[in-house]
Amino acid sequence: MENAEYLPGSAKTNRDMRVDRGKAPVSILRGARKNYKHYLMLLPFFFFYVVFFLYPIYLGFNTSFYKWDGVNPAQYVGLNNYINLLRSSDFIKSFTNLLKYVSITVPVGITVAFLLALFVNSLKGSWSTIVRSAYFIPTMMPLFLAASIWRWMYAPEVGMINTALGWLGFDSINWLKDPKVMIFSLVMVDVWRSAGWNMVILLAGLKNIPEEYYDAARVDGANKFQEVIYITIPQLEPVLFFVIAQGFIFALQVFDAPWLLTLSTTQGYGGRLKALLFPTMDMFGRAFGVVKFGEASAYGFLLTALIVTITSILFFLRRRE
Amino acid sequence: MQKNRKKFHFRLGRTIAWILAIAFFIISLFPIWWMFNIVFSPAGVPIAINPRLYPTSISAGIKNITFILSESNVFRAYMNSITYCALEIAGSVLLCSLAAYEFALFDFPGKNVLFAVILLSLMVPTAVTLVPTFLLVARLNWLNSMRGLVVPGLASAFGLFMLTQFFKDIPREIMDAAEIDGASHFGIYWYVVLPLSRNALITLAILTFMMTWGNFIWPIVIAKRAEIITVSQMINWYNDPNSFATINSQMTAFLLAALLPIIVYTLFQRQIIQGISITGLKG
Repeated sequence: MENAEYLPGSAKTNRDMRVDRGKAPVSILRGARKNYKHYLMLLPFFFFYVVFFLYPIYLGFNTSFYKWDGVNPAQYVGLNNYINLLRSSDFIKSFTNLLKYVSITVPVGITVAFLLALFVNSLKGSWSTIVRSAYFIPTMMPLFLAASIWRWMYAPEVGMINTALGWLGFDSINWLKDPKVMIFSLVMVDVWRSAGWNMVILLAGLKNIPEEYYDAARVDGANKFQEVIYITIPQLEPVLFFVIAQGFIFALQVFDAPWLLTLSTTQGYGGRLKALLFPTMDMFGRAFGVVKFGEASAYGFLLTALIVTITSILFFLRRRE
Repeated sequence: MQKNRKKFHFRLGRTIAWILAIAFFIISLFPIWWMFNIVFSPAGVPIAINPRLYPTSISAGIKNITFILSESNVFRAYMNSITYCALEIAGSVLLCSLAAYEFALFDFPGKNVLFAVILLSLMVPTAVTLVPTFLLVARLNWLNSMRGLVVPGLASAFGLFMLTQFFKDIPREIMDAAEIDGASHFGIYWYVVLPLSRNALITLAILTFMMTWGNFIWPIVIAKRAEIITVSQMINWYNDPNSFATINSQMTAFLLAALLPIIVYTLFQRQIIQGISITGLKG
């Protein structure tokens, strides 16, 4: 049999041409022996991942079916935690607040970020870097710091905002104690801080759009506004979706800003009339204030259910396009 | 006529855009500028007289800063935060790079399943893990300890994901050359991949620093005793909502807390922005 692989003169024994028959046990061992070094390198990460991430999820799930205050033995209560929560007025309030907050802050924040990205994209040279850096600085502040500074800016007497309003002839607004306004105060802090982050991502996406598309549009007579609607946004769609999804996921877990704006403690949180009560805060308070770990765990899962639902809806809507 | 109207609309649009852009520019920078001014202004002067629009007194500022720093708790909180960040960075970079090395450059049974599991965890909010992780850490007797602060955050799915994307660009030829030269599997990682991916590692280190320094919810769960308190809790000590004098102490504490992130940001701006942009393009 002619075999082109064998060069003339090389060993051609029967052993070389033997057909490989059946692999079974030898190959599993060989597979393990070949791949063990991969698993070994993965081991450190996965060890901590399993112990400090996957296991807590399981533990939380388990705990949510018990009544436990950390001191007395845990009592099995089945679905009672979930049922009681769904009936509790604080729970309903926190979720209502959350939906209200998210439906305002995500669209506003991303629109602002998008406009900023468009603006920075149109600048040239060092101005572009300077302005981009300025817009990005709020994101670099730790969130707890941003919330604390804004708390002072919102202060009734000494805060800058009311002082500025006074100069312009408007009345002071009680930003942090008037339940009707508090959500907007929170939205302002969030947009202030997140605009830079989203802008940077959108900017990277903008820079990826080839100039030819705009040239072609201009030849067809499009003005700036039409350029944005018909070229920029469609081209930016994947990045926009990422920013929107990420924005929702972050906003649904809001904790730092409302907690600090209302100077909450585990004994009393959420601000006046619980206007700034949000699920993560409520879960936190139930775990470390009244110490009901079972209830708090159930709360966490209910919040997760909401996040997963909203994210799924987002993905579904995108698929339909 | 038509052309003039178009030009007018264009001018108007541009003007509005510029006004909004400048407005946001001011709004972005003002709170930080305001904080700085309050620190460097004489205390107790009512806002009506000195609205703190610019710093007015260096000596008052120095007095404020030394007052805050002289409290030993502040210094300790600072040290705690720095240690917390340093350990978190070192551990995270090590763990994530080891795993990213495998996911980016090799194939092995179960690779896709494992990667999918990690990806899913990006969807899981802190809400679910906060209380149980606390219970676990308490059971391990790690409450109020640096271990308790650092360890739970080490296996960062975000870090793994980011490094995997970066590592995919490592040229195979260099790795093959090292293998021919007799380098072990770990040796290739240590002597070839790590040095080549220095930018990615630095970016991860910086982003981890920013996230850890700003981490508020975990320290208030775990670090209750004075000796382990971090900067994120320290800023709330000087808190008397009705007294105007405290605004100086508060703002000084804030300024000190913001100092490190601002320095890191100024030095590493390019890496930070690049790192964040990549998540969007490849996410």
